[in-house]
Amino acid sequence: MSMHIANGRWVVWLSLLGAMLLQIMPLPDIVEAWRPDWLLLVIIYWAMALPHRYNILSAFALGVMLDILLGAHLGIRALSMSLVVYVVVLHFQRLRNFPIWQQALMISSLVCLHHLVVFWVQFVLSTVTFDESLFLPAISSLIIWPWVFWMLRRLRRLYKVR
Amino acid sequence: MKPIFARGISNQFRLTLAIILSVILIVANGRLDPVRQSISSVLSPLQYVANVPGALLDWSAEHLATRDMLAKQNKALLRQQLLMSERLQRFEHLRQENDRLRGLLGSPVHMDSKKVVAEVMEVASDPYHQYVVLNQGARTGVFVGQPVVDAQGVVGQVVQISELTSRVLLISDVTHGIPVRITRNDVRLVVNGTGVLDELELKFVSKSTDIRVGDLLVSSGLGNRFPEGYPVARVMKVIKDNGQSYATVTAQPLAALDRIRYLLLIWPDELEHRQDHNDIPVAESNDVKPEAKQEVSE
Repeated sequence: MSMHIANGRWVVWLSLLGAMLLQIMPLPDIVEAWRPDWLLLVIIYWAMALPHRYNILSAFALGVMLDILLGAHLGIRALSMSLVVYVVVLHFQRLRNFPIWQQALMISSLVCLHHLVVFWVQFVLSTVTFDESLFLPAISSLIIWPWVFWMLRRLRRLYKVR
Repeated sequence: MKPIFARGISNQFRLTLAIILSVILIVANGRLDPVRQSISSVLSPLQYVANVPGALLDWSAEHLATRDMLAKQNKALLRQQLLMSERLQRFEHLRQENDRLRGLLGSPVHMDSKKVVAEVMEVASDPYHQYVVLNQGARTGVFVGQPVVDAQGVVGQVVQISELTSRVLLISDVTHGIPVRITRNDVRLVVNGTGVLDELELKFVSKSTDIRVGDLLVSSGLGNRFPEGYPVARVMKVIKDNGQSYATVTAQPLAALDRIRYLLLIWPDELEHRQDHNDIPVAESNDVKPEAKQEVSE
């Protein structure tokens, strides 16, 4: 039973807080469109590592917070992040065993999915035009994922997060 | 590590729950403003922290300025201040004259409205809308729908508030419209945003409308949201194509929306405020005035 007692929860909270900060941090206009989806990457990692503790409803709550922080229509990112994390939780065993580049590719397509869902809901709600720069975060997330993964794994092992 | 409680609730169930909740949120978005306000009050410290790097850059720019630069700036500001105060003297005279004339006509006198300077926080916002976040919130008395202007003209209106911050929708956003009139001939129009920062459009302008390139558009005060008389935009292009039912008119906002830093939040005058909420007090004041005059004459 002792295996199921949560440990190092604060590491998860802190990493999510940091990701949220990075998500709303100001960036120069040129790199703004390339901003990786920090929050999504971090919650994907935790959903992959501890799917019984951090999963769809945590992603939902984070999505609501992100919507509020960005001043967006409520529920959009909550919806897309829950969908993405659902896919992760469904395949967490397989994702864990992928080589890192394959994992990064998978994650980047999930980021694409996230942005498409956000765009799609925005499109239904108001007039927005499709812009290919929508997919830039997927590329930057692809590049950044291995580092996020290694760093969070080190943190997880260091503090024995369960 | 086979957890028991992953078995308890299936992932499908959680997903369904999340989707239902999201749809509820999306549909009820407009009615959840109080909830949004309280959650964003809790989250606004995050925005302040995220703003720190930008604030540090500003601070260093201010503190590393050379003496020469400061002296130059100071001189320019002094010159500007002189010009402004000269204009202010004339304006003061005109205002008194206007008040007297309005008094003779029995129409309400414009009061000086309350204003507060707010600073734009460097925080990312929803990429599908044009927002800026200000460092003043409900604690200062900011309210949803409040007009925001800068030194050149109208910037937008407050759409969301929290205790310590507020979010302003810029006039260039696609969902924003502002009633204006042309200063030259008082033609009333509505200016809509296009989603491009330095372009606004006027929709449904009939081809016979007297509108020319260079016309100044000021807020008309109709709609009771923006106070009357603030400059909004200048007409840049008027295309009257016979194939189209309406003229295509584009305008450029006077406020430099791409580099706003300090903004003014405006509280509407007491009188105007009463007008937007109910018409009865205004009707009363109209009734009262003649009586008062009669009393004086008696």
